[in-house]
Amino acid sequence: MIKLMVLSSRAMANKYSLAAALLLTIAFNAAAQNAGQTNTGDSPLFRGEQLLMTGSYAAASDIFQMADGLDRNEGLVGASKAFAMMGNYQEAMSVVEDAIEDDDYARFPLLSTQLAEIKRSVGESRQALAILEAAVSGLADPPVRTLVQYGSLLRFVGEKQIAAQILERAVQRYNNGLVFSSEDVAMVALASWLLGNFHDANSLFNEATRANPNNLEAHALWGDLFLEKYNASDAERSYQEALDINSRFTPALVGIANVVGDERALQRALAINPNSIPAMETYGQLLLVNGREDEAQDYFERVLALNPESLKTLSVLASRAALEERTDEYERYLAQVESFSPGNAEFLGNIADAFGNNYLFDQAVEFARAAIAADPQYWQGYTLLGSNLIRLGEEVEGKRNLEIGYENDPFNVMTSNMLKVFDTLETYTTQESEHFKVHMSQNDADILWPYLEPLLEEGWDTLTAKYDYEPEGPILIEVFEKSEDFAVRSVGLPDIGPLVGICFGKVITLISPDTLSANWQEIVWHEFMHVITLQMTGNRMPRWLSEGISVWEEREGRPYWGRSQGLDLVRAAEQDKLLNIADLNSGFSGARNSADLGFAYFQAYLVVDYITDEYGFEKLVELVDQYAYIKEDDQRFDEVFDVSLAQFDEGFTSWIDGRVAEINVYVHTEDVPDEGDGHGHGVRENSSAILAELYNNASLKQHMRARIEENDRDFQAYLQLGIVLFKEESFLEAKDYLNKAYELLPSYTGYPSPPLVLSQIYEKEGNREAQLQQLELLLENLQHDYASAIILAEAALQGGDYQRAEYYIDRAIQVDPYRNDVHQLKADYADSIGDSALAVTEYEVLLKLEINDPAEAQTNLAEAYLKNGQALQAKENILRALETAPSYQRAQRILLQSVDGDSD
Amino acid sequence: MFYALMKKLFFYRSTVFFGLTLLVASSAVAQINGRSASNEFFLDRPESTKYAVILAGPTVGDENKSRFKQWAFSLHDILARDYGYSADTISLLFDNGEAEAVGAERIDAACDLNGIEQEFARLESIVETGDQITIYLIGHGSGTEDESKFNIVGPDITGVQFSQMLDVFDQQDMVIVNTTSASYGFSASLSSEGRVVISSTRSSSEKYDPVFSNYFIQALDNRNGDRDKNNRVSMLEAFNYAKSNVEEFYEEQGRLASEHAGLDDNGDALFSLNPTVAEIDGRLAEIAYIDNLVDETIGLSEEAIRLKSRMQDLERSVFILRGRRAEFLEADYWQQMEVLLIDLARATGQFNDQVNGVEQ
Repeated sequence: MIKLMVLSSRAMANKYSLAAALLLTIAFNAAAQNAGQTNTGDSPLFRGEQLLMTGSYAAASDIFQMADGLDRNEGLVGASKAFAMMGNYQEAMSVVEDAIEDDDYARFPLLSTQLAEIKRSVGESRQALAILEAAVSGLADPPVRTLVQYGSLLRFVGEKQIAAQILERAVQRYNNGLVFSSEDVAMVALASWLLGNFHDANSLFNEATRANPNNLEAHALWGDLFLEKYNASDAERSYQEALDINSRFTPALVGIANVVGDERALQRALAINPNSIPAMETYGQLLLVNGREDEAQDYFERVLALNPESLKTLSVLASRAALEERTDEYERYLAQVESFSPGNAEFLGNIADAFGNNYLFDQAVEFARAAIAADPQYWQGYTLLGSNLIRLGEEVEGKRNLEIGYENDPFNVMTSNMLKVFDTLETYTTQESEHFKVHMSQNDADILWPYLEPLLEEGWDTLTAKYDYEPEGPILIEVFEKSEDFAVRSVGLPDIGPLVGICFGKVITLISPDTLSANWQEIVWHEFMHVITLQMTGNRMPRWLSEGISVWEEREGRPYWGRSQGLDLVRAAEQDKLLNIADLNSGFSGARNSADLGFAYFQAYLVVDYITDEYGFEKLVELVDQYAYIKEDDQRFDEVFDVSLAQFDEGFTSWIDGRVAEINVYVHTEDVPDEGDGHGHGVRENSSAILAELYNNASLKQHMRARIEENDRDFQAYLQLGIVLFKEESFLEAKDYLNKAYELLPSYTGYPSPPLVLSQIYEKEGNREAQLQQLELLLENLQHDYASAIILAEAALQGGDYQRAEYYIDRAIQVDPYRNDVHQLKADYADSIGDSALAVTEYEVLLKLEINDPAEAQTNLAEAYLKNGQALQAKENILRALETAPSYQRAQRILLQSVDGDSD
Repeated sequence: MFYALMKKLFFYRSTVFFGLTLLVASSAVAQINGRSASNEFFLDRPESTKYAVILAGPTVGDENKSRFKQWAFSLHDILARDYGYSADTISLLFDNGEAEAVGAERIDAACDLNGIEQEFARLESIVETGDQITIYLIGHGSGTEDESKFNIVGPDITGVQFSQMLDVFDQQDMVIVNTTSASYGFSASLSSEGRVVISSTRSSSEKYDPVFSNYFIQALDNRNGDRDKNNRVSMLEAFNYAKSNVEEFYEEQGRLASEHAGLDDNGDALFSLNPTVAEIDGRLAEIAYIDNLVDETIGLSEEAIRLKSRMQDLERSVFILRGRRAEFLEADYWQQMEVLLIDLARATGQFNDQVNGVEQ
């Protein structure tokens, strides 16, 4: 073999001079081999292992093959591994297969095991099984690796009982103190994992990596274990530890990509190993999530060409077929899996997961049940079943299944997280209205519920009538005080990014407004709209349309709700960043930051606005109805709008051009989009305002004036100039620029906006009337401002304009119902108009909020009860006030009034 | 101990002039199983004098300096405006004693060792038995346990040193409010029977500048902290007011609280985070008021004095019942409370009629 290599190298040297150096090196290596050593003086086996460990796979494959004598078989296994790392599976097989004389697998267990592993990885599980069976049955004490690989494969082909016996033998070997090497300990860890002993597996991987920190396989497998249990941080750490040793170790690169969705890691893995099946599978899934279905399909086809038994790829393809109700195709995939892995619960579990991820919870539940029926010890199945039942509002059964999952697999972070949320929910109360059932904390029940209940029922009445559709209820809403609980309840994991509410069709999860700085009523309205569109289509709505309608209905709900992102629209149009209908979903799934996600919502809204503007609201409802059926978008758009998708896109683009022309502002390239949390629900900071922090006033003024010279419709230049002049207290000049900015784009709501700065100028000038006027303008478009609403409400109450006071008090409550001042204002308003029942409601809330003067709050409430004719409640409350403050004379008078009508 | 005995005698010889004092003190007593020394301290006599010493140490940075100055000056002004303190009874030792600063007329001396020693020497020469001294520390603290220090101009002063300086005031009631960062160790050194010690932090590891002082002063301002509506603010009330607001401050900021205030008033140097009259710490703090008791019976008719006495008896009964709440069924408790409170309300109404009649 060495001779052949030299000859071959010589031939290359004749052709390529550059390769001559390589030839010399290899020739030298060959010479060194003759002496039983490499050119570094180490044995080929040692040197090969070093090269393999550091990612020099080509060199490793050569050097390994130089090993001779007692090292020969290990060398060949090393060479096979090196070939496999480069994706040369044929060579990986032949290099070991050729050395197994007479197919006597038991005589060459290491070579046979390696051969079987490669065969399994390329979909030849039957042959692999036969090899391992022969090796194990022919030896009294087969190597640990052979046993574990055999057990693993037996599980894969459905022989679970025998598999368990074989895997137990490996574990027993360890328990008997007969497993020493790090590599074998890692195999025992794998056996424990496959046997469902996850904590043991964790400890053993720990032991293996401590015994040999360079054991890349152990690090990667440990990462895989964490990943399976949704423990992303530990998984990432394990993969990273492997990559710190060998940055070309593809299993770890794929692992990292699985954890963080890093496309570059996959590209790197495929550059190293163009035939890496896990890399292609993961890449395909990532592309699929991002809506790049054709590219994804390419990868899946390549995977199946390399490994027709790829469970992951077959699961994905079967899921897609099942989701699109291509029943025959699904059955074919199922039969294919059954042919090599009968009763595979993981396959069914993957399909359940896919249905769940696509909001089709009923079907997800069916598949999860089927997975459990196939293997009652498939603990992930109980987690899948439980989590999907919860999303259908079936909390009791959901929890029961999660508990089964947790009892048998406490290592699964998702299961334990979801159960912890049940602990939180046990401390919550349940409020009910005609169509809704709401779980919330006592604090929210006391403070939020009085305002949430009428809003929900208003939303129900308005939107069900408008869409002529009554969803199945009651709708379950869960309002979480901690964002971690909200995230876990929603997706099973504690980080959900910028989302503040999620609708599952019959269930809505929300972050408590107590933790938000946004208009919570707009969020509730938005989420309830999802209930309607999701249920109208059996949860088959594409995300873009569902979000587009929900955002569109925000403005329909209240004129000051919704998104005002004129600048973003102009910028996107200028930069040609508006997506076609077919790509709108990828705007959500592929969003790289909060600004991207926010714009995805905005564009989806624009499409809906276009539809209603151009075709009418009825056509929008018709389009929604279309999604109840499985068909291509082209067909749907043709049936509803009588145009192709391309024509629709063209129409939309020209409509957008019209909108951009209407907005008619100039967006400078140095300005970036405003930033805010909650993907559009909440105040967005004016990113250009940072310029004022970076430059001195003189430079900034000069720069902004130059920008205005360049283009006199540069909104941001006027605004920034106005802000700088305001800071310098050049109020007269500042007002000119700010008024001009307002004229250019009156709907701008970034922070700070022209009306906000103008109101501050007028405040400083003592011009109360003009200040209030500006705040009114501000609130015409901005729904998230609490302070301005309070100022306007106070002014209206002082001026005796009760209708106006009521309006602005409500605007403040829409943003923050947890502050004393707004409830005190509302109570004062109630007193002013003689609405004793409303006063009672407000003083009840104030009592919950009061921390400094509970006796006073209790006295106020008692007085309100008394005025409302509720003498008994008045007495109960005033006694509590007097218990704390017995000599408080105002309270004493109320006590006497409550018991006998005395006033003194 | 002579002073204790004298105080006890004084307590038992009390007349209607000291009725309210007795009432409050007794309420604390009534809630204690067994005895504590609380009846010997903070007797709150109208004729005793209350002194306040504000020590505001140096700092670096304009923001901190401005904040400490604002706190020190506000406290000075609030004590003068709302609680009847005068230039003779309130002292402000501020930073290096900067005489040129705006508002510097409030400053009596520099906050250095010499200034502190001189101030305590001055106080020692004028205080009488039963007077009350409230020491308020603003600024930075550092170190742990015995080495805990209050940062002053020049070498810092340790808690042990400071405690020794206070030993001369063994005939006076003493309140120490330490609002510095890492105040715990220093405060613990000052713990002593009959003293109310408030610390803005519960451990030496809480090293960031606390916001406690801001809310404690707010509690005194306009008597915001007066929870029992007796128009007076006790140390317990001010502490609870500040504590609640500090918690809310951190909650609103979405930050983990980097300070947890504690109160010790039984001399065990263990600070309670939630002191109440029903707990180990809180009983003395409840009767430790920042202001002087005003004799409300001067010029009243006999009937009015009788009614005032009746009101005080009823109020005391309310306190006693409240302290024994755990011994009653809920319904029985409120039934008895209602009877007492209605009687008290009627007595108060009659008293007001009498007083108004006298005035007419």
